[in-house]
Amino acid sequence: MKLYYFSEMPHHEYADEEGEKYPSLRLAFPNTNFSPEKAAGNYRRYLEEYEFADQAGFDGLMVNEHHSTPSCVNVSANMSAAILARTTRRAKILLLGNILPIQDNPVQMAEQIAMVDLISGGRVLSGFVRGVGVESWWANSNPVHNRERFEECHDLIIKCWTAPGPFRWEGRHYHFRHVNPWCLPLQKPHPPIWVPGTASPETAVWAGGMGYTYVPFLVSFEVARELYDYYRQGAAEAGRTVTPDNLGFLICAVAADTKDAALEAGRHFVWRMGPTLRGPIEYFSPVGMRSRAATQFALRARSVSLATMSYEELVDNYHIIAGTPDEVAERFARVQRELGIGHLLLEAQESRMDHATTMRSIELMGRSVIPAMTSL
Amino acid sequence: MGIGHREEWITVGETRIPTLIGGRGDPLLVLHGAGGHRGWRRFVAGLAERFTVYAPTHPGFGTSDSADWMESIDDLARFYLWFLDEVGLARVHLLGHSIGGWTAAEMAVMDPWAIDRLVLVAPAGLKPDHGEILDVFYYPPDQLLPMTVHDPSTIPEWAELFGTPPTREQLDIALRNRETTARLTWKPYMFNPRLSHFLPRVKTPTLIVWGRQDRIIPVVCGEQYARGLANARLHVMEDCGHLPPIEKPAEFTALVLAFLDARQESLG
Repeated sequence: MKLYYFSEMPHHEYADEEGEKYPSLRLAFPNTNFSPEKAAGNYRRYLEEYEFADQAGFDGLMVNEHHSTPSCVNVSANMSAAILARTTRRAKILLLGNILPIQDNPVQMAEQIAMVDLISGGRVLSGFVRGVGVESWWANSNPVHNRERFEECHDLIIKCWTAPGPFRWEGRHYHFRHVNPWCLPLQKPHPPIWVPGTASPETAVWAGGMGYTYVPFLVSFEVARELYDYYRQGAAEAGRTVTPDNLGFLICAVAADTKDAALEAGRHFVWRMGPTLRGPIEYFSPVGMRSRAATQFALRARSVSLATMSYEELVDNYHIIAGTPDEVAERFARVQRELGIGHLLLEAQESRMDHATTMRSIELMGRSVIPAMTSL
Repeated sequence: MGIGHREEWITVGETRIPTLIGGRGDPLLVLHGAGGHRGWRRFVAGLAERFTVYAPTHPGFGTSDSADWMESIDDLARFYLWFLDEVGLARVHLLGHSIGGWTAAEMAVMDPWAIDRLVLVAPAGLKPDHGEILDVFYYPPDQLLPMTVHDPSTIPEWAELFGTPPTREQLDIALRNRETTARLTWKPYMFNPRLSHFLPRVKTPTLIVWGRQDRIIPVVCGEQYARGLANARLHVMEDCGHLPPIEKPAEFTALVLAFLDARQESLG
């Protein structure tokens, strides 16, 4: 099983009481609480941690993108990936991912990912996501068109990478008369595609049909298995065989020298389970964004909200893994046995977890956890 | 309110929509707002005393067929001009509320001759010179509802319309109404930047009605419509929000009937 290092590049640099005055930390919390000085230091620090994770032996470095929120100030997955393409040597660079429905120019997106793939020597894993509703607000992109735009943007990017130009694209949402990108990926036919899942059965079925690597985020084992079943259904309909390499899972994890130190550090992950997800449903899932099936699935899947779980429950349910390297390795192995996955994505830094703690965790994982995973 | 009404399904192109029809006199087309078709309400019954009311449910609302290919309110306007052809109405009075008012304004600039007299009730469609149109998609429906009116306690049909928790079916329809509204109005939000340039074409006698306390669409938009249209008058109702036909049914109906009857008197 392969391990991936991930940080949301948080900006938890304000008094929590300030954030609590607003209906949500996303969209509504004024950016007068953003500190450019702190952010400048943090970006350097977060990139150093990624670079150290590459040196420590992580199989991949995952970057993502959000907007209008202190929970993640990585505002461009491609920009971060481009930096890591130059400053790292070995690990895959997992973009999970580019938010397709809010893109107005899929051709430029295809060019940018191709350029990262070229600079990195073919290390890109190209994740495509629909985004949470906040991103649709940020882009003022009609949520009613979210799924249609996701699929059409995907189709055009793949065509950019695989069909000789110039060609014309006249779709429903995208219109380009002369498509001929002079920047194509190193990997052929194109970088592997990854797709995350939280609640949409349609996305799981679609990813299965396409043979893409599918990664549920922070759900219970039970819900993950149900989503993998949808994935398998899509794969079967397309005549594809599902292997562990098709399946990933995302959790929060930190290792430390003692169990107490690890459990203390792990508390930083609670911020992303509650406070950063607080807010009206309209912010996160504006009207029309989710199908009825996805809405109903989400109600079941999130019947117990992460926000209402205690820290101990989050640890018991494997949403957070915090321990000594041996304990962490043992729990990762359990996740692998439960789900039969080939990729475990670790959100390994969060909130106000400091640089020293993060670096020590990366070092410990590299020294004894990652080697233990190779046999799984 | 003795006049009866019936429901007919009208087919326009490939789309079927239910239409409440009732009353006597010249035809009056009534176009509902983003909240959906609220049925044969007091103001409709009042208007039906003197006019034959046609009150359709927009495509994608209520139990109407979907028309997911539509992208904007001017599509809906073209749809209703076609609707008039299908029903066989050459010239009608037209009353539209909120996004229905915006639709009515778009119809008027497309085909002024199809409309005898025009009533625009708190119509969307123009970018306010001052203030903003409330982002209705940003608020949960239960928070939004009180913002749409001035004072629920004064609304005679409040209990009937909103007094009991919605059924599963009503919730599904409310969601469908919101989705279709989003489909048609998302960007630019609730206005057409080209509409104001076309308004002077419309010489149709027009009554614009607004609630002074409208928290959804600022009254200034009413002034802009009144300035832009060639033959329009703005009437602002006091102690009233975004739903004048529901909030003040008697006053609203009397106002509209007086305006529509003025034509009949002048002809008589």
